[in-house]
Parts: sequence; structure tokens; C-alpha cells
Amino acid sequence: MSECETIDEEIKENIQNIVVFMCNECGQGSANTAGIARMAYEPAVRIVRVQCTGQVGPIQIMDALNNGADAVACVGCCIGACHFFNGNLLSMHRIKLMKKLFKELGYSDQFINQYTSRAAEGETAVGDFEDIVERLAKAIKEEGTIKDGC
Amino acid sequence: MDVKIFQFNGCNKCFYETLLLNLDENMNIEFISSPQDWKPENLDVAVISGYILPFDLDSIQKIQNNSKKIIAYGDCTTTGGIFALANQKGHQIIPLKELISDVTNVNGCLGEIEELISVINGEELQGNKSLCSVCRRKATCDYLDSVNRQIEIDDEETCFNDLGFLCNGFIAKKCKERCIDFNTPCRGCKPMVERSGIRMLGMFGTLLGNVEMATEHSEKGATDKLADADDDLTESVPDILGNFFRFTLPTSGLPRGRVQSSGNILQDVFIGRLIEELPLITGLLGGNKSISLTLKLIETYEKANNIEVSKQTKKYRNELLSLEADLIEATSNEDPQKYKATTEKIRKIAGNMNLSNVYFGGFKQKIDDGEDFESYKCHIFEIVEGAYKNGSITYSIDPKGVVKEITIKER
Repeated sequence: MSECETIDEEIKENIQNIVVFMCNECGQGSANTAGIARMAYEPAVRIVRVQCTGQVGPIQIMDALNNGADAVACVGCCIGACHFFNGNLLSMHRIKLMKKLFKELGYSDQFINQYTSRAAEGETAVGDFEDIVERLAKAIKEEGTIKDGC
Repeated sequence: MDVKIFQFNGCNKCFYETLLLNLDENMNIEFISSPQDWKPENLDVAVISGYILPFDLDSIQKIQNNSKKIIAYGDCTTTGGIFALANQKGHQIIPLKELISDVTNVNGCLGEIEELISVINGEELQGNKSLCSVCRRKATCDYLDSVNRQIEIDDEETCFNDLGFLCNGFIAKKCKERCIDFNTPCRGCKPMVERSGIRMLGMFGTLLGNVEMATEHSEKGATDKLADADDDLTESVPDILGNFFRFTLPTSGLPRGRVQSSGNILQDVFIGRLIEELPLITGLLGGNKSISLTLKLIETYEKANNIEVSKQTKKYRNELLSLEADLIEATSNEDPQKYKATTEKIRKIAGNMNLSNVYFGGFKQKIDDGEDFESYKCHIFEIVEGAYKNGSITYSIDPKGVVKEITIKER
């Protein structure tokens, strides 16, 4: 194994807590499907079930980050498929502004993300989790963790 | 009652306002402009104004050990204030409450002297009314299609937010300065909730629900995800920090910024802000030179971009400048009567002590009912990229109107 890969592995091992808010419909549904199919997913992910990602705002995200989360993500329904009205879109708007705020503060914008998944396909949720960890590891390698600034 | 006013770092605006305490005969007031050199003695009330840096901790300790009651006066002391925007660039401005738990806060930029007097007299602060409840504009909270950065409206009944101007009035208490009366959306200097900036950000994220936002295909999840690239949404709010966290950055729960600092707190406050917000910011932190600083900044831009200024505007501006000279005289002589008379005159023209009414090309709100407002009304101006220089002030802006560099020599 080359030196570079060792560092990557180390960073990934140090990622212990990723809070993922999953909506009760598609998000949690797809995680359930993944569970039924016995698919393995990232051990760092901590799922918080919410009724709709529209319930998740900057306050909840900052609470998670201030209390030790390495990163926060939302997983909601696909665009246009929100089981309420447009909760996933509103949440995306807020998270996009938070990403910009983190950039303005000089941090990577990968500490916060939003994904979508399909309830019938477990691999969408598992793939989202993998993507979260990969992006976070890359961001930490380049710019350090968010805890460096607290 | 022995009252001592301690001024730490910052613009002195709140410190000068405390001159008005002298009008109260029950109080024995003393002003201390350099707390480091203060020889400790017992006192009843210590009023602290100005922002606090780590090297002020000893002085704070000294004050804490010798006073029965401590009051933080003005946003710089209570929540970090406008200067704390420099925390974005790694500075460490500390709100007093983090150092002393037993402190009474009088928020506001400028802090309200009436509130300070009642707190000194041991009364509870009254009136938790929100700014919206006393605003003449009414909100519908419909989704916005776009954000307007510069203000030019005749509508006096619709909420700023519904018209596309970001106003933080939702989280603010009703106040004396009332920027909203001078066509200036609130920036939330008197928050009534904790972590007001974060809450406002959430609120606006929702309000901007109709603005286009980019998504991208996620390879691993095989579904859509929120894109990292810039889109209409991020373009429409170029300076989130300056809009929502203008007075509360250290208490907002956000990590301390690590943007490269220019080394100077004053410059760091300005860098990253928007050109149309600059007059209000200089008005806030200029202290007793705020008028000349604001006008210089405005006139530099007007001259370079050939923005026409009417005779009436010039007349009012000159009046303001002469009032500033009076103000400096009043503060250096510690003359509360003259200070009161001068500030009243300034408030009449500039709206409030934050100069909300002063703007590029004219004034935002009618000053005198007998005059034709059109002759000195400000209009939407073009944002032109470039470097602007005029004697003591130099600044450059990028095509979006974000300040890239600034130097202010006077102070």
C-alpha cells in the first residue's frame, strides 16, 4: 500500500459520526429495503428518522455539528416526489445556503449535503452513505476537519 | 450611585451616548477610556462598552472583582457586534457573557440609553415586542422569485421580504433606531432569540423556495443530489455572513472563520461585504467620524461612476458634516446638552445614528415634508467592478459588488 492510500485509510477510520437525517418515506424506506436485503453500509453513519427532510433546518444541523458530528447529511425523496408537498426542495435550499456560509467562513462545503433515494432500491441509500464518507474524507484531507476551528 | 463607564476597543459610539447619563442627577458618572490603566476602587455599577479581545481579560477581571453589578452596553460587548465580522478572518472577539456569566445585556447598535438607565436603576427590561409587530409593512411570507439587492420602492405597505429585500426583522426586538423607517431592511442588531442568524438563514432558505437551485447526478447513489456548483440561489445572496450574522457572529455557534486575514480588524470587517451595504456599515462603526467616513466612501464611488448628485443632496450632506464637527466638539468637552441637541439634528437628516438614510446618489427617505423628495431621492445604481481611491479611503470591488480590498487611513 502506498503512503498516500494509508493516509486516506486513516482519515476514513477517524470519521466516527455522520448524522444523517432520513425522511420517513423514501429515505428511511430505502434504508429499510437495504436492511431486508442485508446490505452492509458505512458504520460511521448515524440515522435520525424525521417525518420529512423539510423539518431539518440550520438549527438542527448546527446542533449536530456542535455536538461532535463530523458531518451532517439529509436524505429525502426524489425531486418532485416529496410525500408532503415540497419539503425536500425547501430543505435543499436551506442546505445550499449553509454550504455557501461554510465556504464564506473558509471551510469545505462537504460537511453538509443532501441526497435523495428511492424506497424500493436499498442500494440508493447505501450508495449515498458511501458518497458522503468519500466526499468528507477528501475534504478533510484537503482542508482539515470542522473541529479544527471550534 | 457610583457608575463607571469603561470603553474597550471599537468605535466609541455607545461610549459617547453614555454622556447622556450625566443628565440624570442621581448618578455619579465617570468615563474611563483606557480600562488597562484604571486603578481599582469599589463601585456600584460598571458599564462596559466596546468589543473585547483576549488581551483585555485582565482588565475585565479587575472590573469584575470591584463592582457590584456589571452591564454590557451595545452589541460589541453583548454579542460581538459589527466588529466581530472580523472573526470570519480568524480574529477572536469575545462576547462579555462568555467571560462573566452574571452580566446584564443591553443590546443594540447603538444601544438604547433609556434601557441602560432603567437597567442601572435596577428595573427589569420591558417590552419583548418584535420589530414586525410595530412595522407598518405587512408580511404574507410567500415564496420569492428573486432577491433584490438595492432598494428603490414606493410601496410602504408590503413587507420588505415579500418585495425581495432581505430583512431580519422577524428575529429583532422593536428598537429606537428603526432603520425600517428609512427604507433600510433590518439587520437584526437587537435579536430577541438566541442564534438569531442561524434562524434567519433557515427562514430565508425557505422563503427563497422559488429560486432555481442546481442538482447533480450522484454516481454511487444513482439518484439526484444537491449540486456543489454555484447556482441562482447562491448568486442571489452573495454575502450570507454579512446579511444574517452582522451583529451576532461569535454567539451564533458557527466555527471561527479561517479566511486569510489582512492583519487589521477594521479592514477585515469590510472585506467580503457588499458595496450597497457599505454606507450602513461605515455608519455603524465610524464613531464620531462616521459621517465623514460614510460620505467619503459614497462620494468616491459616485465620482468614479458619474452618479449625479443634486444640489439638495449636497446641501444636506454639508449640513451633516458640520453637525459632525459639533458632535466631536460636544464629545471632547463631555457636554451632554450639546451632544443631545446635535444627535437630534443628525437623526433628523440621516434618520438615525447609524445613518440609515444616507446612500449613494441621495437619501432613501423624505427628510422634510415641505420639499420635493424627487430632488434628493437615491436611485438604483450600477455595480461597476474596479478600484476606488479618494485620499484616505481606498477600496476595490469585484463584478458582483463584493469588497476585495480596503484601506482606511484616518483611524
